[in-house]
Amino acid sequence: MNIVASNRINKKVLMMGNEAIARGAIEAGVEVVTAYPGTPSSEIVETLAEISNNFDYYVEWSINEKVAFDVAAGASLIGVRSLVVMKNAGLNVAMDTFMTLPYTGIKGGMVIVVADDPGAHYSSNEQDTRFAALYAEIPCLEPANQQEAKEMTKEAFELSETLELPIFLRSVTRLSHASGDVILGEIKKPLKKIGFNKHWKIPFRWNVYGPSGAVSKHRWLHLQMEKAKEIIEKSKFNTFTLPANTNIGIIASGLGASYAAEAISELGLKEKLAFLKLGFANPLPEEKLRKILKGLKKLIVIEEGDSVIERQVRSFAQDTFTEIEIFGKERKQILNPYGELNVDCVAKGISKAIGLQVKENQERVNIKNEIQKKVSPRSSTLCAGCPHLGTYWAVKKALQSYKGVHIVNGDIGCYEQGGYGVFSHKINPTDDNSKTYSISSPYEILDTIYVMGNGIGMAMGQSQAGYKDGKVLAVAGDSTFFHATLPAVVNAVYTQADITYLVLDNSWTCMTGHQPSPTTGRGKTGEKVKVIDIPKITEAIGITCIKVVDPYNIEESIQAIQEALDFKGPSVVILQRECALQVQRREKHKNPQIFIDRDKCTGCKQCLSLGCPAITFDSENKIAGIDSLLCVDCGLCNQICSFGAITLKGK
Amino acid sequence: MFNMIIAGVGGQGSILASHIFADAALRASVTNGDNDIKVRLGETFGAAMRGGSVASHIKIGSDVYSPLVPEDKADVILGLEPLETLRIGVNYIAPGGMVIMNIRKYESVDVKTGQAEYPSISDIIDSFKKLNANVITLDATEIAIKAGTAKAMNVVMLGALAACPKNPVPRKILEEVIKDKVPSKTIEVNMRAFELGFSKVSEDLRE
Repeated sequence: MNIVASNRINKKVLMMGNEAIARGAIEAGVEVVTAYPGTPSSEIVETLAEISNNFDYYVEWSINEKVAFDVAAGASLIGVRSLVVMKNAGLNVAMDTFMTLPYTGIKGGMVIVVADDPGAHYSSNEQDTRFAALYAEIPCLEPANQQEAKEMTKEAFELSETLELPIFLRSVTRLSHASGDVILGEIKKPLKKIGFNKHWKIPFRWNVYGPSGAVSKHRWLHLQMEKAKEIIEKSKFNTFTLPANTNIGIIASGLGASYAAEAISELGLKEKLAFLKLGFANPLPEEKLRKILKGLKKLIVIEEGDSVIERQVRSFAQDTFTEIEIFGKERKQILNPYGELNVDCVAKGISKAIGLQVKENQERVNIKNEIQKKVSPRSSTLCAGCPHLGTYWAVKKALQSYKGVHIVNGDIGCYEQGGYGVFSHKINPTDDNSKTYSISSPYEILDTIYVMGNGIGMAMGQSQAGYKDGKVLAVAGDSTFFHATLPAVVNAVYTQADITYLVLDNSWTCMTGHQPSPTTGRGKTGEKVKVIDIPKITEAIGITCIKVVDPYNIEESIQAIQEALDFKGPSVVILQRECALQVQRREKHKNPQIFIDRDKCTGCKQCLSLGCPAITFDSENKIAGIDSLLCVDCGLCNQICSFGAITLKGK
Repeated sequence: MFNMIIAGVGGQGSILASHIFADAALRASVTNGDNDIKVRLGETFGAAMRGGSVASHIKIGSDVYSPLVPEDKADVILGLEPLETLRIGVNYIAPGGMVIMNIRKYESVDVKTGQAEYPSISDIIDSFKKLNANVITLDATEIAIKAGTAKAMNVVMLGALAACPKNPVPRKILEEVIKDKVPSKTIEVNMRAFELGFSKVSEDLRE
């Protein structure tokens, strides 16, 4: 049984931050849960979906974050406790309702969990979504560890109902994807007090345009945030250590407080500095701020992400504490305003601020630098037998028949690795070079990558602006097709843009951990549901050139892509083949039948440029090989070998 | 305080190994009634499902708050793949620390396409010696195949770790958690893998 569903109250267990948030929601009696998968947030709803049969809540994988947000908000308006979860970039998709909902407030407790990604481990950017909480003017919680993640989630529902506002809980990768000890609490049964009141406490409560209008509702929001300040002042999540004789203080929030606590103890400064640990990034507890700032000469602010706390503290200190030197990520910079924190950089930052000399072992540093030179890169690859390998090989071959500089616009999903490049490749960033730049592996095919659903729009822009130097393409996966490219496809038909859109349909939302998508034929707990047919949708929208092919068949895929490229106007190629990992998980892995005929192999390395990790190369004997542990017998490599050196056993 | 990092390549089972170890560490502290002991497990894996660098940081102790091991502070590096052992080890191994390394290479695409060089195993071992670390090597993949499946390599490595004097978690509890966490059909092969890894390193240490 999943530990998150355990009834063993007061038991101490190891939990991932995301599991702890899921547990907190159950302990609060959550009734509706929605999300679109996004690393590092996915395990929250993955867990809640997995154990949903044991509890009385509704859970869904929504089609995108905007829909997820609206579903959760709608539920809250009729008095239901709802949770909506997304990654940092996901919030950008949900911004519209996110910014407006606080004007009317909510009824049933509504908690918005957003997992940021300092260090951009799994994300296109490092955006700090605490700013969004300030932007929308709602309270923002920031847990420092897994136990707090659970407690804060639970408390956020209470606070949400007290203030009648949605509450923002900001996690980060190193919390969501890290595990720590958590003590289980009691599980609350959902209240199920469902009802609708059009004029609940305020006339036309759920209608920002209804009398007395948006400005008056904005005023109401400000009054609620004043109440929030009073409550937050007393919160157990903001805690103090105030030693008697010090004029140096630290304010640290969220995970930053955990790094700070360790750095302080590393530097031997335990109990020697004033320390305010913040659990709220908005609003700040002003009484506590006043108390810590009084008598300080130096203040160090430590937070994961941008200078959200630092700016607020600076602005607060301006009233009465103008003499204090404030160190952080701006002005008196002791920490980088980019990348993620760790104990080492926090300890160095604190030392720098207070003028502590830390001796470095230069000899060891030199040895390390020498060794570093031997550590060769490990570029990211697609999996062995990944259907995208076939797609990208076909794209590469198809484009070779056309002269010019083609633009392949990428998107977000496993296939984005088609733009990661090979780390050890040397690139000279000049315009001339890029024109002669040949694609040597599938990891160099994508020319643009930004965010979900963006590629097809960009392709239209290039085509409509008059790009004539080559073909214009876009790629996106099946989950992305529904998430954000549908309006763009309509746009392409409406404006008759001359672009080719490749839908890489592998039946799952793979990169985030294989959540079901509308093409899977499975619902959130694996139950059978109807597949939503991408070819039929594109046809209904008005695309007239539609090709459906299997990317494991390279010849057919090349032909289909070329026919689409030759078509004037919007064309769509749907490359359908289930994710190889999912197939392997279902069907027991047999010994692969693909092998290299050593007599025929010339060592030309063409098979290596397929980019499949199961293909090996013996550089001593100049001969290719197949890694029998990885190979899944997809048959792509034997289609591309010009010498017939890769064959199937028994053939 | 005990700090360890498990380094490997996505798909090798380093995440499962780190969860087994961290869970066992927590169980051990609860069994002993050490209420102050905290366990933290921080993971870094790339965007890909398979084939990328993976590192799991595990910290056990009373003064533990954050999920990451500081530089030069890892008591043990459990390396499931040689290049990854070096990648992580060079930054994190503590002087006097122990490196336990599977010598089976998993070549990167960079190496396979001839754009980068894979350091030799002896070069890797020498590098750790220069950093004042002790190194134990084993062909854990081969041992796992002997036990019944190459997939149990991660558990061979846990067995190897259990034989190492620096390991703070009782062998019995580790075995208990392995039985809880691996698929029930594979318990037998995993226990065999654990035992083989354990006896291999026990013998090496005796010599």
